Amino acid sequence: MKESLIFILFLIVLTSICDTINQLFLKSAINSLNASLTGNILKILRFILKLIIMPRVWIGFLFAVLSLCIWLFVLSKADLNFAFSADSMHYIFIALASRFVLKEKVGLKRWAGTIFIILGIILVSLS
Amino acid sequence: MFKKKLTLKILLFLIFSDILETLTQLFFKKSALTQSQFFPAKITDILIFLKAVSASWFLWLGFLTVVLTFVIWSTILSKIDLSVAIPIASFSYILVPLISIIFLHEKISLIRWVGILFILAGVIFVSLSSKEKEAIG
Repeated sequence: MKESLIFILFLIVLTSICDTINQLFLKSAINSLNASLTGNILKILRFILKLIIMPRVWIGFLFAVLSLCIWLFVLSKADLNFAFSADSMHYIFIALASRFVLKEKVGLKRWAGTIFIILGIILVSLS
Repeated sequence: MFKKKLTLKILLFLIFSDILETLTQLFFKKSALTQSQFFPAKITDILIFLKAVSASWFLWLGFLTVVLTFVIWSTILSKIDLSVAIPIASFSYILVPLISIIFLHEKISLIRWVGILFILAGVIFVSLSSKEKEAIG
């Protein structure tokens, strides 16, 4: 019983990591385009077209599909409350990856906010 | 570098993208439910399942909202940091309970209220961190 719980937890970490990788690829692709979008629909469409021909975006997409498959498997095995609370840790992965891979400035306020959100999700999911 | 300020407009976009994502889940669930009698025996049965599901319009609506979400999410990410966009997108954890309270008259437990307040506080903190950076840079 306990072993299967650890296995599920491992899968949740894995799906969170896959999801983070997807967002990293997408965000780095967007950063490389360096677009300044206004309300102009045509400009946005051109931006999206440029984006979807980038291999990076498709690699990210593959990770998203992988993440979805693992997540569906997790949901079929684990308690929904537990799955959602454990999944909230992906906010930490996102913050770390943004800080170290994308070189975003994650300050004290942003960390505090992220941790508040994680605690909040755990409370909402468990009750 | 481009500006990265979190504006009210982007916040509304984020909430809209959250709603679209929820709709996607709803549409996929609806399309899958049309085949709830289906039990795959072997792995290739998945293809038969997909073919059966594709007869449902909800599946195609789901694909449409996936594409729309991608467009809106990419636009958002062109404006703000990933470490700001993702936490603020957790707004959906607040939206769903609030909608249940207002429209479905559901009762929410005290612990859940505390959780909602925590998320709200977190979203406010992350938003403030984005504004502060703009003031410096």
